This record gives sequence, C-alpha cells and structure tokens, in this order.
Amino acid sequence: MKFSYQWLCELVPGLATEPKSLQRLITMKTAECEGIEPFGAHFAQVVAARVVAIEPAGKGKNKLVRIDAGGGKTASVLCGAPNVQVGMLAPWVPPGTNLQGKMIGRAVIDGLESEGMLASAAELGINRDHSALLELSNVEPGQTLPELRPDWIIEIDNKSLTHRPDLWGHFGMAREVAAITGGTLHDPVHTEVLPQGEAAITIDIADTVLCPRYSALVFENVRVGPSPLWLQARLESLGMNTINNIVDVTNFILAELPQPMHAFDAGKLKGGTIFVRTARAGESLRALNGETYDLTAADLVIADESGPVGLAGVIGGADTAISETTTRIVLESANFQAASVRLTSARHKLRTDASMRFEKALDPENTIRGLARAIELFKQVCPEMTVRGGVIDTRGPLPRTQPIALPLQFVTRKLGTPVSYEQVTRILDALGFQSRETSPGLLTVTVPTWRATKDISLKDDLVEEIGRMIGYDEITPEAPVAAAVPPYSNPMRLYARGVRTQLADQGFTEVYNYSFVAQADVKVFGPDIREHIEIRNPIASELTHLRRSLLPGIYKNIISNMRHFPEFRIFEIGHEIHPKSGAGLPDEVTHVVAALYNSRGDEQDFFEMKRVLECLFRNARMAATRARGYEHPVRAAEVHWRGSVIGRLFELHPSLLADEGVEGRAILFDVNLQLAQQLTSAVETKYTPLRKYPTSGFDLSVVTNWEKPVAQIQDELTRLAGPALAAIDFIRQYDGPPLEAGQKSVSYHLEVGALDRTMTADEVAEIRSRIIEGMRGLGYEFRGD
Amino acid sequence: MLEQKLEELRRATLAAFAAAISLEELEEARVGALGRKGTLAQISKEFGKLAPAEKASLGKLLNAVKEDLETDYQDKKQRFEESELAARLAKEWIDVTLPAPGIRPGSLHPITQLQQEIEDLFTSLGFAILDGPEVETEEHNFDALNIPPTHPARDMQDTFWLSNGHLLRTHTSPVQVRGMRQFGPPLRMIAPGRVFRNEEVDASHEHTFYQLEGMMVDREVSVANLIYFMKTLLSSIFKRDVTVRLRPGYFPFVEPGFELDIHCLICNGSGCAVCKQSGWVELLPCGLVHPNVLRTSNIDPDEWGGFAFGLGLTRLAMMRYGIDDIRQLQGGDLRFLTQF
Repeated sequence: MKFSYQWLCELVPGLATEPKSLQRLITMKTAECEGIEPFGAHFAQVVAARVVAIEPAGKGKNKLVRIDAGGGKTASVLCGAPNVQVGMLAPWVPPGTNLQGKMIGRAVIDGLESEGMLASAAELGINRDHSALLELSNVEPGQTLPELRPDWIIEIDNKSLTHRPDLWGHFGMAREVAAITGGTLHDPVHTEVLPQGEAAITIDIADTVLCPRYSALVFENVRVGPSPLWLQARLESLGMNTINNIVDVTNFILAELPQPMHAFDAGKLKGGTIFVRTARAGESLRALNGETYDLTAADLVIADESGPVGLAGVIGGADTAISETTTRIVLESANFQAASVRLTSARHKLRTDASMRFEKALDPENTIRGLARAIELFKQVCPEMTVRGGVIDTRGPLPRTQPIALPLQFVTRKLGTPVSYEQVTRILDALGFQSRETSPGLLTVTVPTWRATKDISLKDDLVEEIGRMIGYDEITPEAPVAAAVPPYSNPMRLYARGVRTQLADQGFTEVYNYSFVAQADVKVFGPDIREHIEIRNPIASELTHLRRSLLPGIYKNIISNMRHFPEFRIFEIGHEIHPKSGAGLPDEVTHVVAALYNSRGDEQDFFEMKRVLECLFRNARMAATRARGYEHPVRAAEVHWRGSVIGRLFELHPSLLADEGVEGRAILFDVNLQLAQQLTSAVETKYTPLRKYPTSGFDLSVVTNWEKPVAQIQDELTRLAGPALAAIDFIRQYDGPPLEAGQKSVSYHLEVGALDRTMTADEVAEIRSRIIEGMRGLGYEFRGD
Repeated sequence: MLEQKLEELRRATLAAFAAAISLEELEEARVGALGRKGTLAQISKEFGKLAPAEKASLGKLLNAVKEDLETDYQDKKQRFEESELAARLAKEWIDVTLPAPGIRPGSLHPITQLQQEIEDLFTSLGFAILDGPEVETEEHNFDALNIPPTHPARDMQDTFWLSNGHLLRTHTSPVQVRGMRQFGPPLRMIAPGRVFRNEEVDASHEHTFYQLEGMMVDREVSVANLIYFMKTLLSSIFKRDVTVRLRPGYFPFVEPGFELDIHCLICNGSGCAVCKQSGWVELLPCGLVHPNVLRTSNIDPDEWGGFAFGLGLTRLAMMRYGIDDIRQLQGGDLRFLTQF
C-alpha cells in the first residue's frame, strides 16, 4: 500500500515531520514501511511555456520550437510531438532538471541545440499518455504547473496491514500520524452535504449478512472527461491508473477513506431497482477488465432487472460502465461481508483494489461518508453535475460492539512497565477510542467503528494500542520468572541426534532432500503413485506427491555427486509419509537412509556398510532376503535387531547406476529409526559378574557347502556348545584345494568353562566331541580331524 | 701371590672390557674372567690352601675385584644395548606427513548444526524440545492459531493442500497448539522443523525451509520479559551482545504482535548495504500469545499468559555462513555440504 506524504499533510495540517522521519515513526509505531521514494521532484522546476514559433529541424519529425517561458525567458527546444502548435501552453522542463531519474540537459540533435524539453503527461508522471504534449490552461508562462507539488511516496508492507482495514486509506494512516506526532486530524468528509428526500432509486438486499449496508446516490448532468492534473497525478503517484473524472473520484475515495465505490451508467441499468443477491445458475458477468466470469450461487452480485451488473466488492460490469456518453450515474457506496468477498475473489482469481479492502472488513459507517465526499469532489472535477433525489441507505442490523473493560493494572502487567491513566487515555483518545474511568483503575473503552469490524475486541488488543504508542523501546527488559524444572526430554530427537553424530563420525555427510516425489521416482522405488498422498496444488510436476521413502532422494544425490567424487558416503534422516485410511493424519515415520558409493566398488563395500550398521545397532544381524526390484538380486538383507526387522541393507541394483552412465556400486541401508528407538528404550542393561575361573579354548573348522550362511553355522555351534560356552569367535572362511568345488571351510575359536570351577581337560574334550558329533548329525564335516 | 693374580685379573679384564667393540666381545671377556670356569673361579680354588687370616683378607679383595668387574661390565653392556636400540630405532624413521589411510568424518547439515546448538541452549533454559507432524490438520495449522478459514492472514502463507484434506504445515506454530494440549501450563517449549510454502524457488525463496518455534506460558509473562528473553537468547546465538528492538507486527496468534529487529551485525547499526542503510535487520516475529490461542488449547487466559516467537533457522544459517543461494541447502551437493 502506497501513501502520499502530501496527502497525509493535507489530512494532518501543520505536520512538521520530514518524510523520512515520518516513515521511521510509522515503522516503529504502526506498520512496516518498505521504502520511501520521491515522486515528481521536477514539479519544482517544470514551468508553463508558450509556443511562439515552430521551425523545421532536420530530416526527422523533430521541429525546433521557440518558447516563451515567462519573465523574459525564452528558449529553443526540439520537439517531435504531433500536437505542438504556435500559441499553445505546454510544460517546459528546463536544463538541469532531474526528470524521474533522468537528468535533462542541453541535447544537440542534428547540429541543433535543445534547451531542455517540452513534456507529455507521461513524461511528467501525471498519467500514462505518451502520445502528445500535455496542453496546459489556467496558467501563465513561467508559473509552475497548477496544484502539482513534489511529493514522497511511503510504501507500507501489505502484510502488516492485514488486520487494519482503516489503514488501507490515507485518512486512517493520517489518524495514526496525528496520534504519533501529536498533530490534529482533519476530516475531509462533511456529511451535511448529503441531500435529504426521496431517493431516485430503490435497493433490494437479499441477505444483509452478505451485504450489511448499501448506500447510493443518483447524479445527473454528468460530463465525462479527464480529471484535473492534481487528481491524475495523485492517483498515478499511488500506482493507480487514471480513467476519467468520475472513476478517478471513486478511486480517490477508495484510497482516502478507504471506501471502494462504483459508478454505474444509470442509462444502461434496467429498471429502477438495484438488487444485491447471490448469482443464479448460469449467470455470468462481462467485467470491466474485459474478462467474462461464470458465476456460482456463492458469488454475491449487484444486479438490475436483466441480470448481474457487478461482482459485489470485486469488480463492475462492462455493460453498465461509465463512458464518454454517460450523463446519469448511480454511485454505489456499499459494505460487503469480508469472507464472502474474499472467497469470490479467490474463486475467480481476481484481486482488485476493492476486494483487497473489503476482505479486511471495512467500516460500514463509511458508505455514507463516501457519498458525502463524492458530492464535494464531483463539484471540483465536474461542476455541472447535480444530485437527483436523496440518499438511499439500505442496511441490516449493524453489529454493536461491547465496550471493553480495561483495568490499568492489566496494561501494566502485560507490558511489564507501569502506565498511568493519563498516558492511556491520551493514546486511546488520539486513536479515536472513547474511554472513561468507571471505577478507580478501571477504564471502559468504546472501540471506534473503523477498528471494531475485526481488529479490536479484547483488552489484549488495547494493550497493543497503548504499547506501540508508548514505544516498546521505553520498556525496560526484565527476566521472566519461572520454576526451575527439568524439561521433558524428547527421546526420539536425542536418539536421532546420536545416529547423526555416529554416521558423521563414520564418514557420512548429511543431506536434506525434499518431502516430495513424482511418478518417475516411484516407478523405481515404489509403491504405486496412487498409494502416495497427492498435493492438490503442486508447484511443479516433480513435486506432486509426498514421499513414502527416502530412497528416491538419496538415489538422486548419488547420481549428481558421482560426477565430482569417485567415492563418498551420505545419509539423510527424515520422515516417510504413509497415507492412512480415514480422516486421521498420515503416519510419519522417521527413517535413516545411508549410502556408500564407490566408483571402484567391490563386495567389501557391502561389509563396510554392514559394519556401520553394527556400530549403530550393536548385535544387529543380517538375514538374506528376497531382493526388491531396485536391489541387487542376490545382495539384499533384512536387518534384525532386538527381535524386530528394523530395515534393509542392500546393494543398489547395478543397472540403476549403469542406466545413468555411472560406474561403480552403491550400498545402502534404510532403517526405521522410530522402531529402533522404541527397541532401544525397551532394553535395560544388567551387569553380569566376571568369571572367576579360567576358560579353555579350541578351534573348529566346519566344512559345508558354499551357500550355507555363516550365521547359521555359528548359531548351531553355539546351541551345541550349551551353557559352558563363554565366547565364540569367527576366524576365517576358506574355499579352494583341498576342498571340493562348491565347498567352504569356516573356522571358529570357542572358549568354554564353568562358573564355579576350572573345567578339566576331559570335560573340555567331551564338550568338543559333543559339538562335532552334533554338527555331523546336521550334515557338516570337519577339517583337520 | 694370589693378591697379584687378583690385581692382574682386574687390570686385564677392565682393559678387555674397554677394548670390546661389541656386545659379543664384552660377553667373551666377562666369561673369561667371571664365568664358571673363568680366571676368578680358578683363583678362588687356590683359596683352600691359604691360612684362615690370609683367607679373610684376600677374600675381601676377591669380592672387591669381582664387584668392580661386574659393575664395569653392566655399565658397558648397557651402553652397548642403548646404542644398539638407538641404531635399530633410527632405521624405523617414517615420514609423518604421509597421508593416513581410512575414513574421515563426514559432516552434519549446516541447519542441523545450528539447530542442535540452539536446542542445547534452550534445554539449558528448561525448554522442552517438541516435534509435530509435517502433514497437519487445518485446525492445528490455522484455526487453533486464531486464523479462521476466511481470514486474509491465510494469504500470508501460501499453502500446499493435500488430497486427503490436510495440508503441509506452513509454520512450526501448530506445535505450540500440540504442546499446550499435551502438557498444559506452565510450559516452556521449542519446536524446530521443516515447513512448506507454495512458492516458486529462486536464490532467496524455497518451498521447503526450517523454522524454530518457541513458547513460554506461565502466570506472569510480559512484553518486558519477552524483550529480555530475546536479547539474552540472541546474544547467545550470535555469541556477542545483540541490540534488539520491537516494532508492531501482525500475526493472528499473538497480541500484541511484534517484528523483532537486531542491530545489523555487519555495521553494528551505523548503516550499510546489508541493512539497506537502516542499521537494523528484521530477524523474527514474536508476541504475547493471543488469548484465543490459549483458550482453544484449554488454557485460561485470565490465569495464564505467554510469549511466542518463530526463528527462521534457514535464514539464520544463511546469515551465519554467508550462504547466498537458499537452493544449496536442499541441493544434496557434497561440494557444498562438506564445507560445514
């Protein structure tokens, strides 16, 4: 939202604060200023000049124009404008003027010197007409342009005005400025100009919840034409397009009070009644912007007998728009429900200056004020215009806000600094609140209508008004007082932190990937895209669904990093998001996925990743499992830990790298950290007394077929050794002569003993024989026996 | 006679020890003199023939010679051993600048590092660290935070809506609601996490970024407390004294609501390009918890009050490390990630 400093000065007469200081004060006390820009600084230098002679100049369309700039000053300027003619008054920009950032000097074109330039309205920033010189009237040569002065435009962040409908107009901001600077607010509205008597039109509001108030006035003898320069320039300075005198006045009031208004060409309205109703099936509206909108029963429209002529609070219709031939208008000044306007505006993707304001919940008192202001402004821009009939003002029951009981003590408590009765009432008065002390230390505060629609209803809201006007810098910081209690500790977060640290120590670098996947990702990693939660309004085609696995992201990381590194390790900890039937939230399961990529990889990398898993999950066991599509067909394992399968360890299917032109191998593990964490917390460590008697050891080499899992051999040895087993250690695995092809020998060292004595050699020998016999019974053979 | 023999033995053996150039020669000389069949043993055999008086005086001498020779031998032996060890070790020279084999530590994501640091700080202040889901209900993300469906504040946060009617949380604030409902007052909590906005991505905008929500609910919590707390906190985070200021800011879940600025850390408030000459940098939104927010979470606003703030972890990480392209943070590029 843009604010004109000059306009604010008109509404706060005598304002002495410089624009830049004012901007800082507004930021500190009201709303965030995003910047301040000069507007029309050249109005101090540009003067009216009379064209006294025109001579040809060169081959182009340029002519050498001799001008009289008043006070005996003459000059020659080159000018190519089509409308330049002897005797006309046009704006002359003398050399040395900074014209919208461009320094105007003495240009030499085709050997002829131009002293400054004659300007179009667009060049002066008054409107967007580049086609011709601006023709001036009612001014003498040498005078600056009438009613045009340099200005500053203060831009306020719209977000910081979301809750302040009153600040979407200059009058509201002027009230803030007056309160901040101690100035006096000048109300530009004189409601006494409103005509009494029977209205020339009737209004029919179907639902006063959607339209709490609709005021209107009929004007005759309208002559549509350009607005005076000051009005054009003011709208232009705020980034609003100037249209014609009638529309410009409505836009001016929108930017001032703020009250969006709409002028219908009364000659084009059918019947004598304006209906405010919801749209009917099949209705549409050709709008002022040239678009046609198909309406729904949720859209509130303004209609005449023949159908919609406007989308309430959003945009007017093209068929009833003001044109050069308009002589009679119906001026609408209404109030619409914020939510309804917002929904309509969102549904049709149409945000206008009007809808932006209505959706903030405007003050319904402003409809009448807007009409009064329009009467006075029309007098300036179109003196012939006359009012026909009285004001029609149709309204539902307007909500009455309850006064707020405000204990002074409450303000002091919330701000943490003492405030006085005088301070509080002075601030509230300046902002338009009425307050009186109903009992000692208790104020009863009446909220002004322009703050009561949405903004202020609680005593906490008043604390903000008082706090910001006192200035938060005036508050002395004070340490909060709280009980010293150890906080709830979040076991999952602590656990994940431990895993992160360990993985980083083991050489893994943490990546963050998006929570989104698309069809191409799940084709490889599954499941079907329909089993993922879909985003209704995705931002891009690769971000259409929520990830059920961290693998697609890590896979992309591998592909993109292999160009730079022959070998690397990465991991991510994040949420898998699994849809759930019913209305509940999906299951979000924290997983860790780690990957080791090696351009010259071999099977040792698999065991390296197994080692890392065993560091993270002590005594975890891998069990061969049927490989999934994206896994190496014979290099996939389930990770068993504490009685549960917590994840998978696998080599990525080599084709997935080869297809991307990547050499080497990638080993990954994917572990459900949430499950692992639960298993962690379930186990309590208990101490086992140290052995008092020595153990005895012996080696065994078991011969079996190549595919027999070593873990199974160890399990069987352990079982057969029974309770005497103190330790069993893998020594090595061997294949080759003298073993037959397809066979292997697996060697173990076993330690056995008793807890209460030293075992005799015979006892040890007996255990050893028992194991060997047992193993033979299971089909194993022994080497070296 | 024997006396001379002993003296001669001492002299000759000491000379032989001195002449020995290796441990072997030294040992040979020792065996010759002190061995079981050595000269000293032979001399002592002759003692049998001596008179007792002579035996006593010569015995003393014999012992003295023996002791001298033993001492000298040990000395020499030790010297040989030391120089031999030194020679052997000298051959074991290695180039300590050779690269060591094996794995080097990887690194944690810069946001993880920053987040853990801030978590630790809050834990030390008695704050619980809470989590919430990334997929949220409309109720938690908006309604319970005093943002009803038609509220224009919903436009402040472009939302990803999901086919199941839920949404991707647009801020970590819904965890306030979860925290209040789970634990009740008094409450001190933070909630770091991933949030989502439906925004086009460029160097300074991301649809996925990180926030850290903080909240304190207690009997008496004032603006003065909030200012103190934020100043202390930010000084800890930035590891220097930080000047803060509050100015009005609108967020529906706080009343009053503030934007908190800090003195620009580059120019210390004198004005520079980073702070657009203002001397201040906008850092975070905060405020006193809106009574409606307390009420919807079953906390009586007449009995309790609180403050809340939202720290932009992504933004803070970018400030701290001088990262100029937000896309790097989720780009998975090891050339970037291994710098931290």
